[in-house]
Amino acid sequence: MFESLSMNGQLVFAGLAIGGVYALVALGFVMIFRATNVVNFSQGEFSMLGAYFLFALWHGLKLNYFVAIMLALVMMAAFGILFELAIYYPLRNRSFLPVIIATIGASIMMQNGALAIFGPSPEKVRPVIDTVGGTGGIMLAGVFFDYQYMITMLVTVLLVGLQYLFFEYTLLGKKMQATSQDKTMASLLGIPVGLMIALTFIYSSLLGGLSGMLVAPIFFVTHKMGATLGLKAFAATICGGFGDVRGAILGGLALGVIESFGAAYISAIYKDGFSFLVLFLFLLLRPQGIFGEKVAEKA
Amino acid sequence: MSSEHTKQTTARLLKPGYLALALGAVVVVLLPLIFTSRYTTNLFVLGSSWGIATLGLVVVLGYTGQISLAQAAFYGIGAYAVALGTTRWDVNWWLALLLGLIAATLAGAVLGSTTRKLGGHYLAMVTICFQIIYTLVTTNWIAVTGGPDGISNIKRPPFFVPLNSAQRYAWFALAVLLLVAGLVWWLRDTVLGRAMRAIRENELAAEALGVDTRRVKVIAFTISAVIGALGGAIYASGYLYISPDSFNFDHAVAFLAMVLVGGSDSALGAILGAGLLTFLPEWLRDLKRIYLVIYGCAIILVIVFMPEGLWGYVKLIGRRFARVVALPPAPRPIRVGGHGAKGEEILRVEKLLKRFGGLLAVDEVDLVVRRGEVHALIGPNGSGKTTIINLLSGLYVPTAGRIHFLDRGIVGHRPSRIAHQGMARSFQNLRLFRELSVWENILVGAHRAGGHESETQARALAAIEFVGLSDKAHELCRNLPYGHQKLVELARAIAGEPELLLLDEPGAGLNQTEKQELVRLLKRLNEMGLTILIVEHDMSLVSSVASVATVLNFGEKIAEGTVDEVLRNPAVVEAYLGNREVALGV
Amino acid sequence: MFEVRDVHVAYGAVTALRGISLEVREGEIVCLLGANGAGKSTTLRTVSGLLHPLKGEVLLDGKPIHHLSAVAIAKRGISHVPEGRHVFPGLTVRENLVLGTSNRSNVRREEMEADMARMFKLFPDLERLKSALGWTLSGGQQQMLAIARGLMARPKVLLMDEPSLGLAPILVQEVFRVIKEINATGGTTILLVEQNASMALAISQRGYVMETGRIVLQGSAQELLQNPQVRDAYLGGGKGA
Repeated sequence: MFESLSMNGQLVFAGLAIGGVYALVALGFVMIFRATNVVNFSQGEFSMLGAYFLFALWHGLKLNYFVAIMLALVMMAAFGILFELAIYYPLRNRSFLPVIIATIGASIMMQNGALAIFGPSPEKVRPVIDTVGGTGGIMLAGVFFDYQYMITMLVTVLLVGLQYLFFEYTLLGKKMQATSQDKTMASLLGIPVGLMIALTFIYSSLLGGLSGMLVAPIFFVTHKMGATLGLKAFAATICGGFGDVRGAILGGLALGVIESFGAAYISAIYKDGFSFLVLFLFLLLRPQGIFGEKVAEKA
Repeated sequence: MSSEHTKQTTARLLKPGYLALALGAVVVVLLPLIFTSRYTTNLFVLGSSWGIATLGLVVVLGYTGQISLAQAAFYGIGAYAVALGTTRWDVNWWLALLLGLIAATLAGAVLGSTTRKLGGHYLAMVTICFQIIYTLVTTNWIAVTGGPDGISNIKRPPFFVPLNSAQRYAWFALAVLLLVAGLVWWLRDTVLGRAMRAIRENELAAEALGVDTRRVKVIAFTISAVIGALGGAIYASGYLYISPDSFNFDHAVAFLAMVLVGGSDSALGAILGAGLLTFLPEWLRDLKRIYLVIYGCAIILVIVFMPEGLWGYVKLIGRRFARVVALPPAPRPIRVGGHGAKGEEILRVEKLLKRFGGLLAVDEVDLVVRRGEVHALIGPNGSGKTTIINLLSGLYVPTAGRIHFLDRGIVGHRPSRIAHQGMARSFQNLRLFRELSVWENILVGAHRAGGHESETQARALAAIEFVGLSDKAHELCRNLPYGHQKLVELARAIAGEPELLLLDEPGAGLNQTEKQELVRLLKRLNEMGLTILIVEHDMSLVSSVASVATVLNFGEKIAEGTVDEVLRNPAVVEAYLGNREVALGV
Repeated sequence: MFEVRDVHVAYGAVTALRGISLEVREGEIVCLLGANGAGKSTTLRTVSGLLHPLKGEVLLDGKPIHHLSAVAIAKRGISHVPEGRHVFPGLTVRENLVLGTSNRSNVRREEMEADMARMFKLFPDLERLKSALGWTLSGGQQQMLAIARGLMARPKVLLMDEPSLGLAPILVQEVFRVIKEINATGGTTILLVEQNASMALAISQRGYVMETGRIVLQGSAQELLQNPQVRDAYLGGGKGA
């Protein structure tokens, strides 16, 4: 019995860690949606880019690991602005369909751009705490607490916490919220809406890149890594409640755990399918997800 | 009349579409003759199957405006049906194809039925789910599908001549492509095709005009699935080997890219897009690593600058050279108003109530509209007038109360069903099918009354003549001046020859001359027997046409009577101008 | 203080304003009346920068502002309280008010608190509700919040679009009382768009009446109150186009 408890504990731990990554990607996704109503199908590719930027700086340019992370984050911020200017801005007044498609186009470009530059071979990036033989960890009550997993969870918690504090207690956070809720009214009050949106894209880009850098040592870095990540994060946001921040986080974590248990108890081969099955069920039965859509408007 | 008919038929046969088909047939014959290398011939097969799959997307996305990222799954269903059929199950190719098409029909219908509740990005997600689950199953259910190893030794279809050479099969594939392209092109101008395009342009208006949008969307998905499966079948027998890799999410995205770059609204655009992606890697062989980057970039550029795709560009130029085919004269004038005694009740509303969350928009309103009336519904801003129109036409469901139209309760009925019972409406903020021509808009309205094609044509011709837009018949609505757009909306509503017409602020945005013309048209319609319920703010317009007026304020009825009586009523004056005593006391 | 000169505005194919000219002097309350669809809201939106005129100009203290963005115009001291309240539904009353000061940079804590105290005195209900989220407020409370938020900007000019829309008669009285007081004590210049002509004229010094995109009548509030043509504009419109 003790054995199955520790195995379940392992599954929960792993599930939460991966769930944390899903949550970060989902968060980046929700932020953009709330501010601009854009459904960004290339959000997963932001993670891939972050991982590759880190790889290029650390492995390619042989920079110090932590310096590489900082620089990669700066590059992601710049990329966020580029993305906003190239994709969001020209299509800001069009209906949702062209925008979705443009983000799909961006996703194709990003994936194949990475493929063209870095080639198809999967790459390895060192974990934050580097021990001989890869990532280390500590053994506690029969559960192996992988350092990288722990750091991932820590970063997720920290980011979510910081984000909460930022939006609840700072004026800038309030201005960004106001822009999400009513862009026109915000501009009438003198809030620089364009700047708020740019900041949102930068932040989402950073979230995406960071999640990619965290997950890179766990899985391999390939040009495809963002695809499933993005789709699962998208699934998480829908199940959690589209457009809701709590929903994105809860959905991401829950999906991670479901996957973990599903792979162990039901079928490892169909592991990737669990998220989509859950999503399919939600879409059919309760499309508004757990937390529902924002305040209902008059028809 | 007979020589007119002959002239018309000849004009139709010479339509650019038919010429293109004939030209296409010539191209199909020539291509495998000219390019005989094995490699190129195989590319023709690939391009054809991709082209067919993309044509499926033209139906669901281009025509109906529903996003589908599952096309590769349907493509795969057809491929696996033929593959399994001719290898494991040992059945005739054509039977295997049929089984595949049936499976695709079922899957397409299921996916299409999700559009009942979902649209937009939710729909995109459902289709993605379906696509991914499909790939997971085909990759992992090794017992049935052979898993990642795929299926080999697929047979070719038995045909008049054996298709045992690459060149012959290329002819076969190209011929099927031409056939499907022809069908998809033909679909565009049918009743179903127009209904699909109306849904894409403005689903709400289509529904209010009698199009059963739910059913049409399911049909669109089903058709696209069946076409996709056919493409897959052609592919499987072309290459004689398939594996799950060819039917994954990336391919679904690629099909979407093909249809967008080429032009989603046209069969030819789809072929153009598919052809490009088939041959681009060939031509950019040196740039092989980045051609997909270019393709991704092309999608973005096309969406931003050329939303109608490359073919849309060609059409734009072609439009300059197009000769306008004039419409024949209407065989009979418009017939509106139905049959029945003047003065009898055709609409009865009892204690109608509508609440939106905490807001009470309509507060127990009673209303009776009699045949032959022009009944005005007036009141200050926010008094509930448009809400009532939306409740009557079925767009909103009442919180309480009853609505009887022609002696039948209609609460809870879909708008299209109410439309079929004889109600038509216009919208406050014009809801035209902007990318469709004036004529096509009116045709959609004319279909409401059903019947034979010639009947529909007759009604539409009568309607377009009635509003005086016959010479603008083939103009796209978005290019018309505002006054004409309003006339199109009116013509579209009466083309179905309704018994009751609901007009929501028909005078808004019109200048004096246009308003006078509107008054003239409404009076004529009323003389012909049409009952009209009109919401308006322009009181002189109201006085000119209406015989009865009901006044609302804060969702409640506060006065009713002839227009003159009502405008002299102090309660009505106060509702509009405010209470003077109270005001002076502030 | 500000002036609209021969402004023409169109929404795509529809011409909404066909040569509007009006002026509002410092410290005045001027009302803009007319039936639905006359172009009153369009006029306000052109002044606040949400729309840009095809022809004509808008001048603030003699300087043209019609080409500036809404954000820039807000920074120049024009505060627009649009039709439909538009309180931020997911933010509290307090937070909404704080955001009202966004037209100025570096607002000091004491200033903010002092202004907020002033608002709470003017709208006592809001103080009670200061931690309530915007969407939970009733229509009347949202209107009060929207006005207070507009005032937090310490505006030179306050543009108000149908503040009485959808409010019960007793609340309408309250709103107009508040508007009169704002002008009397603070000297705020106000351009008021209203459907409720009697109320609007009762508190204004001057008024303009619009019909299908044009100004058809203007004068002092007194004159307009007596003028039967005002009634015609609402209840027998279409004659003077």
